[in-house]
Amino acid sequence: MIAKKQKLLGIAMVLPSFLSLIILVVWPVFISIKQSFQNEENQFTWDNYKYVLTDPMMVNNFKYTMLVTLISCVLVLIISYALAAYLRFSNSWFSKVISRLYFIPMFIPGIIAIYGFINMYRDNGWIARFIGSENMPSFVYDIKGLVLMNLWFNIPFTTMLLLSALSAIPGSVIESARDVGAKKLTIFFKFILPLSYNTLLVALTFAFMGIVGSFTAPYLIDKNAPQMLGVSMQQHFSVYHELGQSSSIAVILFLMCAVVGFIYIKNMMKNESHS
Amino acid sequence: MWYFKALPRGKIIEFFIVAVFCLFFFGPLLNLVLLAFSGEWRYPSKLPSSWSLDWWKYVFGNDQIVHSILLSFSIATIVTIVSIIICIPAAYAFARLQFPLRRVFLFSFLLTNAFPKMGLYVAVGVMFYKFGLMNTFVGVVLIHVINTLMYMTWIPSAAFKNVQKSQEEAARDSGASPLRVFWHITLPIAAPGIIVASIFTFLSSLDEAQGTLLVGIPDFQTMPVIMYSIIADYPANAGAVFSIILTLPTIVLLLAARKFLGSDAIAGGFQMK
Repeated sequence: MIAKKQKLLGIAMVLPSFLSLIILVVWPVFISIKQSFQNEENQFTWDNYKYVLTDPMMVNNFKYTMLVTLISCVLVLIISYALAAYLRFSNSWFSKVISRLYFIPMFIPGIIAIYGFINMYRDNGWIARFIGSENMPSFVYDIKGLVLMNLWFNIPFTTMLLLSALSAIPGSVIESARDVGAKKLTIFFKFILPLSYNTLLVALTFAFMGIVGSFTAPYLIDKNAPQMLGVSMQQHFSVYHELGQSSSIAVILFLMCAVVGFIYIKNMMKNESHS
Repeated sequence: MWYFKALPRGKIIEFFIVAVFCLFFFGPLLNLVLLAFSGEWRYPSKLPSSWSLDWWKYVFGNDQIVHSILLSFSIATIVTIVSIIICIPAAYAFARLQFPLRRVFLFSFLLTNAFPKMGLYVAVGVMFYKFGLMNTFVGVVLIHVINTLMYMTWIPSAAFKNVQKSQEEAARDSGASPLRVFWHITLPIAAPGIIVASIFTFLSSLDEAQGTLLVGIPDFQTMPVIMYSIIADYPANAGAVFSIILTLPTIVLLLAARKFLGSDAIAGGFQMK
């Protein structure tokens, strides 16, 4: 009897936030999927997808988005992994300084970071004042600036995730492997990498999803064609009021993330059942 | 440790790493601080030649900007309250009660992070068009609540889990009602987790730019939305002052809550156990 009461109470308490989730996330996603198959008279049509998948400009936007996302993700993972390993395995003064500072950028409003970034690196920015504008490579308003900005945004969080995974590896595992004469590279590939592999996947998921649909950074840094899909989607929605076309871009972004997100959720469920 | 001590030029390399790290992550921020307090800073001087607060007067003399500050804070406050009311009961239920589909409900909150944000906002925008919620206060609050559902449910839930059941039971045994136990025993012990989640919620609402830009234009120009036009139209000094105003609440709140904050608490929002 008590168990039944508890069941009802439990569901009743979860309902407000679960319904908000349904109304604010699940339902809009369904509406936009439906909208993506409709023309202005609300009739069924494939036109939106035909446009998005064949229009030369849109195709270029896709390629560009994938390029930026792949380069950024690879760099973020490599740099963050190196940084996390450094913080985990070094006790020096330098690593203590970094471990106190590295998470601060996570709390800086994104748009402020971008503004600071532009002011720092533009042709007459702070760096140019030091090295002279004639020596300053012009990179802030193109793909190089965008990738660097993505690094700024994603390295702190990714490092935090990876550091917590590396900290969970007991020092004794590594010590004993070293005692039996294993080389550093062997230890890395046989112990450290496999033990942090799951977290690496989670980190990749977050980085991928954050970058592939990003808006503010590409909007302010690199707005000209080819555009990132996030910018192109916002323009179709806010500037051209093409609900169908912007919905179909959104759906395609959802599908891209669904593949990656599936790996993440599976991973989380697996870990939950272990604990 | 041995891993790096093995390097002969280790210290130099380490110094190089720290220098690049600080320059890359904090150089742009330092540059904004200098810009905000500079009086005259002609190209190509490396540092401002005079300091002043003129740009602060300029920013606080601009009605549109002042209005956006007030608007941002009122929206963030309301979003935090709404999100506490919606999510805390669920957080408690996930921590303490056994009910069917508990895991499905729990993990459904990952959906808020499973879609690219701008895609989700466009989807919500399409829905708002149909219900006349574009360019309304309610619409802006709802867009902000999306981002808070997961933190507000998961972080407090982890906090509730950490409350020892024996303490609650002892209070029940001495005759206290369940609500009294919750109010006097459970809530105070779980408070740090709830405070951390509330601060995250408040800050995420304060900093939310893209969703507000999409559904709140033209009447609901919060600070980050104003920032888009400041970047395009205002001198860099004014933009720098405004950047500091926008970042200040984050710094103040995080310092105030420092003792509750650790990477565990933050990571707790992403790795529910």
